[in-house]
Amino acid sequence: MIRKKVKIENKYGLHARPANMLVRVASRFKSNIQLAKDGYVVNGKSLLGVMSLAAEPGSEIEIIVEGEDEQEAVAAIEELIANKFDEE
Amino acid sequence: MIRPKLTVGRLYKETRERLKLRLLTPNAGFEREITDSELHRPGLALAGFLELFTYNRVQILGNTEIRYLESLSQRARKLAIERVLQYDIPCIMVTDNNEPPPELIQVATRRFICVFGTEYPTTRFSHYLSDYLQNEFAPRTTVHGTLVDVYGIGLLFTGRSGIGKSEIALDLVERGHRLVADDIVIITRKAEEILMGESREIALHHLEIRGLGLIDVRSIFGIRAVRVHKRVEVEVQLVDFDPEADYDRTGLDEEKTNILGVEIPLVTLPINPGKNITVIAETIALNQLLKIYGHHTAEEFNRRLMEKMREKERQHLLNLKMRDFLDKDFE
Repeated sequence: MIRKKVKIENKYGLHARPANMLVRVASRFKSNIQLAKDGYVVNGKSLLGVMSLAAEPGSEIEIIVEGEDEQEAVAAIEELIANKFDEE
Repeated sequence: MIRPKLTVGRLYKETRERLKLRLLTPNAGFEREITDSELHRPGLALAGFLELFTYNRVQILGNTEIRYLESLSQRARKLAIERVLQYDIPCIMVTDNNEPPPELIQVATRRFICVFGTEYPTTRFSHYLSDYLQNEFAPRTTVHGTLVDVYGIGLLFTGRSGIGKSEIALDLVERGHRLVADDIVIITRKAEEILMGESREIALHHLEIRGLGLIDVRSIFGIRAVRVHKRVEVEVQLVDFDPEADYDRTGLDEEKTNILGVEIPLVTLPINPGKNITVIAETIALNQLLKIYGHHTAEEFNRRLMEKMREKERQHLLNLKMRDFLDKDFE
């Protein structure tokens, strides 16, 4: 299992479009992917779950991945967030 | 789509009651073809100006034309009529109960051109006839699919043969919705952006259900279960579920499909066992109704989400400021 904290840095936070991109990326992997913020844990492959985190710009979320392709999954999600969801 | 030619004979047969037509020439010229949906009043042509004369249209003689012809000497009248009727005119309509001059009937009979009389005044007659012709010449296509009126929204189900379009229609009918057409939907473009769908006459209100054969929906479910035609408002494309494929999850990006140059929303629906497509179809219709009434669920949700995040960000900055102040506060 991998746990990793990342900071949301795109302009408007995890609104519908970035959340959708994150869910699409997460769904490509077999691993169980969870996101945690402020004590809430949600399924990283569920759009409504990811949106309900309401992760605002500057906030931190934790990625918790467990499964055969956990390395690749964490790397892919991290990259997406680091690239600010190609927003700007 | 190949459509039958519109001959004068067919026009007469199909509109004689609606337009109150009386045939004034002997039964000849019925095979002439009408190729244009517009009408023409040949006043200037009768007066001798034949440039740009749109002779291929149905010619309407109203009070003005008839009064003009009556004002001429018999010789001049005959000449005017012969000059115009030398062209291959499809047919002539004399409105407002006007009695056409005998020369018109003579020349038209000789040239095998039908002359009809009607009691309607010109404007109203033109309106009715235009309506018929516009419909006859409207762009038309056929789609392999099933059209159902769901809560007043016309849902056109498409997808490969055997995916279950008719079964969904049957299920929807059972729940009180109305079947328009199954298998072959004839779609006509009305005005610029309205698509009307209907069934072929022979297949009217029948469904083909694999294993059962033909089902007469009107006989089984009654008149409330059927509709003759319905505007096509959303295409629901049924596809086999593919775990590799990306399906729309937010509803923010609306897909569109283009039928006869008109864009309508397209919903791609993956089918897998145990999924209740009927309820989803009802929800698609209701969601479309919400959109028509100005409520876009996905956009509304996102707006609320972004507002909440902005609020949290503001609060966070405020907290930082306060902490900063307290940090420097050594009292």
